[in-house]
Formats: sequence, C-alpha cells, structure tokens
Amino acid sequence: MSYDNVEIEDMEWNEELQAFTYPCPCGDFFQITKDDLQLGEEIARCPSCSLYITVVYNQEDFLRDKDKSKKKDLEPAKQLPISVA
Amino acid sequence: MEEAKRDEEEPKQQQIWSWGAGTEGQLGTGKLEDEYLPQLLHLPFLYSAGSISTLACGGAHAIALTSVGKVFTWGRGTTGQLGHREMLNSLHPKPVSSLQSYVITHVSAGWSHSGFVSEIGLLFTCGDGSFGQLGLGDYRSQSTPVKVDYFANNFVNQIACGMRHSLVMLKGNQVYGFGSGKRGQLGISRDKIKSVNLPQVTCGLEDVQIVSISANGDHSAAISADGHLYTWGRGFAGAADANFPQLSLSSLRCTKAALGWNHGLLLTGDEEVLMLGGNYHGGLCDLEKMSAVKHRSDSSRATLNEVIGLDGVKVVKIAAGAEHSALVTGRTWGWGEHGQLGLGNTNDQTIPQTVSLSPDIQNKEASLNVYCGSGFTFAIRCSREQIYESINPENRTMKSRNVSYKCSAVVSHVKLLSLFPHLQRNVWFGILKASYQ
Ligand SMILES: [Zn+2]
Repeated sequence: MSYDNVEIEDMEWNEELQAFTYPCPCGDFFQITKDDLQLGEEIARCPSCSLYITVVYNQEDFLRDKDKSKKKDLEPAKQLPISVA
Repeated sequence: MEEAKRDEEEPKQQQIWSWGAGTEGQLGTGKLEDEYLPQLLHLPFLYSAGSISTLACGGAHAIALTSVGKVFTWGRGTTGQLGHREMLNSLHPKPVSSLQSYVITHVSAGWSHSGFVSEIGLLFTCGDGSFGQLGLGDYRSQSTPVKVDYFANNFVNQIACGMRHSLVMLKGNQVYGFGSGKRGQLGISRDKIKSVNLPQVTCGLEDVQIVSISANGDHSAAISADGHLYTWGRGFAGAADANFPQLSLSSLRCTKAALGWNHGLLLTGDEEVLMLGGNYHGGLCDLEKMSAVKHRSDSSRATLNEVIGLDGVKVVKIAAGAEHSALVTGRTWGWGEHGQLGLGNTNDQTIPQTVSLSPDIQNKEASLNVYCGSGFTFAIRCSREQIYESINPENRTMKSRNVSYKCSAVVSHVKLLSLFPHLQRNVWFGILKASYQ
C-alpha cells in the first residue's frame, strides 16, 4: 500500500542524489530519479524502510525534457537545490 | 512555554533514553544505528550546562534546552538545522554557540529546520529555508540561527516547526504562519497559498487568547486559554484541508495537542487522551474499534476518538512522531499487565504498549517526559526523591508507592506492520519490541 500520493511539484530536487525527494516518516527521504520518471515509474522508495509513495506527474513532461534538455522548466520553480557543505 | 524551565534537579538525577530510527545520529547514542530498545544515554558534555528542561525532536534531529537556557543539537544537519555553522550531521549533542549570549526559553524542531525563542522574546531560525519556513524574507537555508527581524518589535512566546512551515505565537494572542501553505497550514488566506517567506497573521484567531501552538507534517493546531482546540492545514482521516483555524468540539477542554503527519493527540483537563484522524492510510488505528466520542455536525471534518486500550487510565504527557505516539501514564501498577492483553497478534488495532526503561523506575518517585521525532523517541526521567525527602521524610516510602510513572508508547502501526514487513525491522518494530518487555 502506497503511503501517500505526492505531486512531482511537491518533491524537491536533490543535486547530490540526482533524484526528486520527499520526506518519509522514518526520517529518511523517498527518492525517484529523472530516468525513472522518463520510464513511467511512479513509485518513489525510501532506502531506509519499506514505505513508498506514488508520484503524480505527467510522463510526457519528462520525455520532452529528455529530448529538448529543458530540465529547468520542469523542476519545482520555488525550490533551490539543497546545498551541501 | 512548553515544559521549559520546569525541572531544576541535579543533572545526576536525570536519565535520558532514546530509541527508534538512528541512521542520522538523532538518537544521541554516538552510533548511526536504529535502536529497538530504549538506550540509556551518557551525555556528560550536555549535563555540564545543567539538566535538560525540554527536548524538541524533528525529522532526524533533536534540540535540548537546558535549565539555564542553553541549547544543544544533534542528528541530521545537512540543511543547517543544527545551527553549528556547517551543514553536517552531528553524532553527539553540541552547543549552538551563536546563541550562547542568549537565555533560550523555548525551542522547536521541524522536518529540517529549527526555531529558538529567547527570554526577551527574540526569535531565531535556522535550517532548510526552501519554502520560506525560516521567515527571513527569502528561500535560503541557514546554518546558524538568524534573528527573525520581522518580529523585532514584538515579544515572541513560542514557535512551532512543521514539515515545511512554521507558526509563531506572540505574547498576547496573535498567531503567525510562514513557509509552505499548500495544504492551508498557514491559515492566512482563503485562497491557496503556495508559500510565503515572511510571517503573516493567521486568520480567525484574532479574538481568541491562544496559549500554545503545534505543528507537524502539514498540520497546525492551537489551544486557547479556555481549552478550545483549533486545527488547520491538511485534513485528518481524509477530510478536506482547512485554510483557516477550525474549532473542534467547543465542549472540549484541552491542555495539550501533539500532531503527527496523519494524526493528532489531545490531552484533556481530565487527563484523557483523544485522537484526531489516524486511519488515513488504514494503518494507524481502526476507527471502527475505537469509541467515537462525538461527530461534528459537519461530517467532512475528522472525528475525535478515544484511544483504545487505555481504559480510563490517566495520562499525564503526550507526544507524537510522524506515525507513532508516546504517552506517560500516571498509573502506579498493573499497566504492564493490562497493556499486554492485546499482544501477540497483528490485528487492526491500536493498543498502547508499555515500554520498559532500564533501570526500572517503578517504586521510585520520578517525573517522566516523552518526546517524539519523525521516527524516533526520547524519554527523560527526573527523580523527585530529593524533593520529597526534604518535604516529608517519613512519608517518602509511601508516596513513592503511590506515585510512580511508567512510560507507554502507543504503537500506532499494528496494521502497517503486517503490510510493510521491512518497516517493522527498521523502525516501528523497535518501538513494539520495546513495548513487549
Ligand atoms: Zn523511510
């Protein structure tokens, strides 16, 4: 059973992990890569537990992304990359 | 306010346990491991700054406030939430040096940000700012606590940090919200608000005297001086989101609210615990087996329910993590036996289980408190032996028998346990296993 349905725009892009992330109740993050999204994968998993969420997104957005390399248009606009010291 | 400055005992009289998810160092054990049983911690460095008066536990970090107003943090620090001038995890409690010159009286830990309130009403925030949850007018993250200038001319009493938002309560009755508002958790507008990076007044509480605020996940709550509970943000149990504070049951007299990501706990003046939501994912509790206290006339709102298995046991403290809860009962004996009635099966039930803290605290005069982070829990015991000894030396033994506290963790995931076998091993089973002692 999916823990939650989360829209892609509510996920954060993590440069280090090269994945979109969303908080998991265990304290870690659900993760899904752009490659996964291009393949139509809609499950984002947490590496620390068995919980997973269903990512709500439009696969075409990511296919176009691949073709035209217009990555920035598709990332959540309001979010800055997570900076790591 | 919280429990700040409540306990002034000698540090020696204080014991701290932690358990649950520990892979970011949030348990303070010095290890990056989950713990299935309560671990008694040795924190000499922390004790040098007095006893711990309160703890705040976030997504994967913890903040300790000491009796002399000093602040220590540990756990995940990758977005600056520890305030250590760097974006690194810390396995051990370290002082927040930039706050050394202030006497801090209130602290809060969100998913990835932190808030600190000083004795003279100043507010500081640090950590993840990507949703505006630091209230500093931008979307940057901060690795050192920064004074929130918006409140330069106000006296801040409390801050409550949620997943991506913050609430602030001023001296008086005004409540503010900032950060992500997508689920209505800021309470600042009838329209959908994506996020704001400066504090805005929460609507509908202007004429209410608020005494405490809470936030977790995308939920917000406030309690008024007359014990009324207001909630806003993400709806409980699949109910619609609320863009404004909603009064829950005007007959209710609450003394404390503790919010999770899909449930909330309320402590009433009668020392009874009620639960909001909880079955959103079908796992937290089985509402059909709980006795519904009362349904609101507006059926779109979540109902309040008694926690099954408590059977009238008085509760003195409550805490909520993302998907688990802990409470402290004031019962002298028998609770362990009683709590074990439902053990050994994984039916769709939620029954509070007793956690054994070693060394055993039964028959010892003590005050126990619990604090939950997203996937972990802390318990702190302060011995009151000395106090009673000085007040009434002859009666001490008798009093000790009459008043002892046991810590019970409400195991919220019995159904999920069967659905997510790996999760048992990693986090929730830790709590459950601890409960079986
Ligand atoms: Zn997880």
